[in-house]
Amino acid sequence: MSSQKLLLENAHIEGIRYYDVYRKNGGYRSVEKALKMAPDEVVEEVKKSGLRGRGGAGFPTGMKWSFIAKPEGVPRHLVCNADESEPGTFKDRYLMEFLPHLLIEGLIVSSYALGSNVTYIYIRGEYAWIPDILEQAIAEAKANGFLGKNILNSGFDCEIYVQRGAGAYICGEETALIESLEGKRGNPRIKPPFPAVKGAWDRPTVVNNVETLAAVVPIINIGGEEYAKIGVGRSTGTKLISACGNINKPGVYEIDMTISVEEFIYSDEWCGGIKSGKRLKACIPGGSSVPILPANLLLKTAKGESRIMNYESLSDGGFATGTMMGSGGFIVLDEDQCVVKHTYTLARFYRHESCGQCSPCREGTGWMEKLLLRLDQGQGKLSDIDLLWDIQSKIEGNTICPLGDAAAWPVAAAIRHFRDEFEWHITNAAEAQTRNYGLAHYADPLPVSEPVAV
Amino acid sequence: MADEIKQEPPANFKVTIDNVTLDVPPGTTILQAARLIGGDVTPPAMCFYTPLKGSGGKCRTCLVEVSKGSEKDPRPMPKLVASCRTTVMDGMEVKSITSERVINARNSVVEFLLINHPLDCPVCDQAGECHLQDLSYEHGKAGTRYEFKRRTFKKHNLGKYIQLHMTRCILCYRCVFTADQLTNKRQHGVLDRGDHAEIATYIEKSLDNQFIGNVIDVCPVGALTDKTFRFKNRVWFTKPVDAHRDCPNCCGKVTLWERGNEVLRVTARKDQWGEILPAEDGKTGWICNECRFEKKDINDWVIEGPMKVARHSVIGANHYEVLDRPKETISAVMGGRAPKLLMDIHSISEVNDPGVDLSKIPGPATGAVFNREKVIEEKKD
Ligand SMILES: Cc1cc2nc3c(=O)[nH]c(=O)nc-3n(C[C@H](O)[C@H](O)[C@H](O)COP(=O)(O)O)c2cc1C
Ligand code: SF4
Ligand code: SF4
Ligand code: FES
Repeated sequence: MSSQKLLLENAHIEGIRYYDVYRKNGGYRSVEKALKMAPDEVVEEVKKSGLRGRGGAGFPTGMKWSFIAKPEGVPRHLVCNADESEPGTFKDRYLMEFLPHLLIEGLIVSSYALGSNVTYIYIRGEYAWIPDILEQAIAEAKANGFLGKNILNSGFDCEIYVQRGAGAYICGEETALIESLEGKRGNPRIKPPFPAVKGAWDRPTVVNNVETLAAVVPIINIGGEEYAKIGVGRSTGTKLISACGNINKPGVYEIDMTISVEEFIYSDEWCGGIKSGKRLKACIPGGSSVPILPANLLLKTAKGESRIMNYESLSDGGFATGTMMGSGGFIVLDEDQCVVKHTYTLARFYRHESCGQCSPCREGTGWMEKLLLRLDQGQGKLSDIDLLWDIQSKIEGNTICPLGDAAAWPVAAAIRHFRDEFEWHITNAAEAQTRNYGLAHYADPLPVSEPVAV
Repeated sequence: MADEIKQEPPANFKVTIDNVTLDVPPGTTILQAARLIGGDVTPPAMCFYTPLKGSGGKCRTCLVEVSKGSEKDPRPMPKLVASCRTTVMDGMEVKSITSERVINARNSVVEFLLINHPLDCPVCDQAGECHLQDLSYEHGKAGTRYEFKRRTFKKHNLGKYIQLHMTRCILCYRCVFTADQLTNKRQHGVLDRGDHAEIATYIEKSLDNQFIGNVIDVCPVGALTDKTFRFKNRVWFTKPVDAHRDCPNCCGKVTLWERGNEVLRVTARKDQWGEILPAEDGKTGWICNECRFEKKDINDWVIEGPMKVARHSVIGANHYEVLDRPKETISAVMGGRAPKLLMDIHSISEVNDPGVDLSKIPGPATGAVFNREKVIEEKKD
């Protein structure tokens, strides 16, 4: 079954990066349509569409927009979060690089809906070549009357500015992003107040992901109700997945959230199966922060149902047997990968990226990294596993921002599902330095619990 | 009656903390309310500092459980919240020491704060008035589960008067807020991030400011210390008295830390939570560098009397005296010599020898300063 494409439909067209080609292929229609509607009607369409934030948390976008405070005489801002730094996630980069006008179009419509006359794109410093692409698109849009003063004679003014970050994962957290945008150190703020009330320069601010804002374009074009018909349940519309790891066809795919994980990994239309004919061991389906799952729990839920690539199905079973949709960074591990080393790599990342404001995250991430390095190098003790579990449980929920949780979850999930492998690294320390634990039983079918007779 | 404009005072909120109910004005934080109750119910606070705008929320020692959000919305809050940054709602119910989750979280925060701490209390000037020392005594465990090299930083001289021992810093950001709010030149004091973040030399830029000395007073640990007091004496041997002078720069109301008739140190006046007290005339209680570092003669000051606020510290409370000292084993490894540190420092130490004017010597007071012949005979028992 082929998925319907709403975002990447025209990505293959030669020159779609430039205004003329983009416009000829139906670009900026949504601006023409939206500016004839009242801003609240645009918000209403987005609500009807069921669109959920694509930055990781999956919060309903229309609802988020309706929370924005509107004090008299105070400007409001829309900020596009293009900090995309979650390991495994590279969908926003693809979108901005190949379809910059789609983002700009989405930004104009969304700015209109929210009443933002000055809108920012905050982009991670490492995407060094993309600001030029975006700024060129902004200049083209402006030259053609889609930005600037009195857009299409609607009376609506809008400017978009691109702000480059300096390369910090934490600046993707919305309040840290706002601090950084204001020119300060990117420390997350203590909430409340929430950005919708006091954001950039203390003005009401909405921060949305690149993909979220791009999705506003098809929503306005086809209408919120039509958009909501795509997908299932509360997973409406299409989702970009950046697939990487040991697969034959890594890349960015647009799916409509009805296909199964198994199909996504093995079908030639998507990932094309595991590289070199190896077997699937584990997967992190939503970017490095979401729990890793062994093959058996990835493909089937604990109830024995096939797992589908959408918000509900991926999180089926909670953290005990499920995971999360997250940002859509789909990382596949084959039987040759070592979960201990992998977990260490992630722990090192979070230690390096913690802003250091709150004690549990600042100290706990460093401690976990040191323990995991020791385990990986075959110098660990069995008690280290319990200690790791204890540390992660003491970080989770006790910090200012979700980076603490994001650092704790991968460690918790790795120990929860791959404890045998951790223990083997300790009990067979010398061997563990020369070979991997392998697939072990991680792909074995799980016993399905019989439904309890009532 | 007719002339009187009736202004209804805003209705107070009822809040219950560990089964104690009290009325507080809207806008009160849980921590402030708990401080009104006092005693064990009050969460420890290592980063919040009432006079500093924006402080708090960082150290996480003050976490509490909100078991009932408010009368209107009685749902409990799913996560523990920082009591210093959470305002009370009418009908809110809070658990501090009656919640096992809170006790666990608090103990773990103490553990986190200590894993990279140098634990150099014996050579630290802050000992005896260090909030981390008190906190670890009250919530910490005796052993450590951390088996790695502790993080270290180089010592820095931040100008003539202040020394920075970054290794002891708990990154509470109080000094950053102080420098930000009392001086006009700096924005940031923290460089780098995560466990390698440090309070750094940007701070030096504002060091010539008359009020920068206040960073010493707000620092809960021995990371920022007064170089004019460095190693002169242990705070628990000094006598705090309140005094004032007519100062052109600041309120001039201070606490002198005396030894005999010598002024060893000058600090701002603090309340029982270690926070700067506002001066009675409504001025801020922050003091200037001149008062703090340059007025060390008793004749500079008008003495008011002993410091009014009862200080609390584990050393002040003599907790350390009742410790079991490993006398036998230690003297064995030291070749039969009894180590001084483990003896009763209150009776045998020479640092209170009134024949030596500590405030007159330029550097720290070392053994060489004292007349070795006058060393009090070792107690034998
Ligand atoms: C540590 C951390 C990093 C984050 N990085 C990003 C990011 O790079 N891009 C992004 O869109 N959201 C990121 N987020 C989520 C944002 O805080 C915010 O929820 C999101 O931008 C909201 O947009 P959405 O509602 O459109 O998803 C991050 C969150 C955390 C805690
Ligand atoms: S959880 Fe980590 S990244 Fe977030 S504010 Fe605390 S220290 Fe900074
Ligand atoms: S130096 Fe002291 S006041 Fe400054 S952040 Fe460190 S512990 Fe806090
Ligand atoms: S005192 Fe509340 S978090 Fe530090």
